Order: sequence, then C-alpha cells, then structure tokens
Amino acid sequence: MSESTAGDDTLLALHLPAAPEALDTAHDAFEEAWTEHPDVADDVRLRFVMATMEILGNVVEHAYAPDVRADGRRLALDVTRTATGLVGTISDNGQPFALDLSDVAMPGVDAESGRGLALARDVLDGLDYERVEGRNVWTLRCEGR
Amino acid sequence: MIEIDVRTERDIAVVVPRGRLNMVAARELRTTLTRLIEGGSTRVVVDLAETTFLDSSGLGALISGLKSARQAGGDLRVARPTPAVLTVFELTNIDKVLRPRADVEGAFDV
Repeated sequence: MSESTAGDDTLLALHLPAAPEALDTAHDAFEEAWTEHPDVADDVRLRFVMATMEILGNVVEHAYAPDVRADGRRLALDVTRTATGLVGTISDNGQPFALDLSDVAMPGVDAESGRGLALARDVLDGLDYERVEGRNVWTLRCEGR
Repeated sequence: MIEIDVRTERDIAVVVPRGRLNMVAARELRTTLTRLIEGGSTRVVVDLAETTFLDSSGLGALISGLKSARQAGGDLRVARPTPAVLTVFELTNIDKVLRPRADVEGAFDV
C-alpha cells in the first residue's frame, strides 16, 4: 500500500490509492515521521499537515470522473526537508484541475464546503499547481516562522 | 480513525468526536448530527476536547449541524477546542458564528 525510499532529507514517499482512506494513512505516516525528525517545529508540522490533508481531500473528491475505477485512482505524496522548512508534492492521475488558484477565496461563514484550497493556501508559504505529463502536481512549501 | 460518542445531559445532546475529524470522519459526524436533530434533540454541544485534528470537511459538518439545529428551533455549540482545532476556527473566521465555549456544562448558559 505504501513504500518508503528514504534519503536523509526525505520525510515521506508514499504511493496511495486516491481514496478517502489515504488521508488517515498519510496522517499516520506524518506522525511516525515526526518521531524521526523531532526538530521540525510544531508550527510547521501543524500547517503542513493541515494543507496536505486539504489537498489530498480535494484530489480524492474532485480529481476523478465518476466512471474511473477505484483501482485506477492513484496518488503520490512526497515530503522533503529543506534548511528552513518542508516542501511536498502531491501528484495524481486524475483529470486536470479546472480552477485558477489565484481566484480561490475563503467562502462566507455559512458555507458548508469550499474552504479547503483557501485554507491550504493561507497556511502555506507557497502552493502551486501544474499539469505535468498527464498528471496533476501540487507543490506545497512551508517555512518555519 | 474516529469514535463519536453521544450522551444526553439535561435535555442537551453532547457529541464527543475522539480522534481526527477529517473527510472520512466528517461524513460520520454529519450523519450523527442529522439523526440527533431529526430525532428532536435540537440543542447540541460538540465537545472538541479530544478532537486532535479538524479539516474543512469537519468544519462543514459542524456548519451543517448548526444550520439544521437552528432551523429546528435549537442551536449547536462547540466547547473546549484543542489548539490545533482553534487555529482552524480562527483561520476560517468560523469562530464568529460558532464561538468556542470553555466548557460543556455552561455551553448553553449564554
């Protein structure tokens, strides 16, 4: 279900089914990784995990047309340490993301959905999306404060 | 993984999500709140003291419960959020409509 190819700066390298269970699997993997990297600041952990869960949730909910079989939905999560924080990529084999990230706004307090990407963007120091060779690639950057 | 406990104290339903309130758990919370409110328990306190993580879908489930409770003539309140959960409330301005209470017992006092 998951594999790890850890170098010194690699915190996570996971291949997961693009399904809701991936969120808990990734969350568990983060908690394990913190024990091996205890010096990653609490604030960085909190913000990075929050953003990762929002992007993973978005991929799982929105990246696939309903007719794509569950076993054909795959995502990868890679997280690396930098001198000052964490950088991660989340990639999936779903359909292209149709929105412009710069248009994403936090909805009003009554909304029951639509906060995920705005929240991820607000807690990160960088959030980018690219379509690369038929895959969606999200890049998340979080610096210590 | 999450466990959602429900108990009733003086006509107020107390809902306790234990663990991560993520996309999977949010569905369960939404169902729990809907059942309670449709069953006539329209005054609900969600005790967040043991909720270690909250994402936008968990927040959506709380907002949905808040609206349903109010439509049914009651209310939904949240109590004792952990620092991680409080951060999400503040970042999304939800603390303006769902003001976190210091304890479960007094959540409906004011």
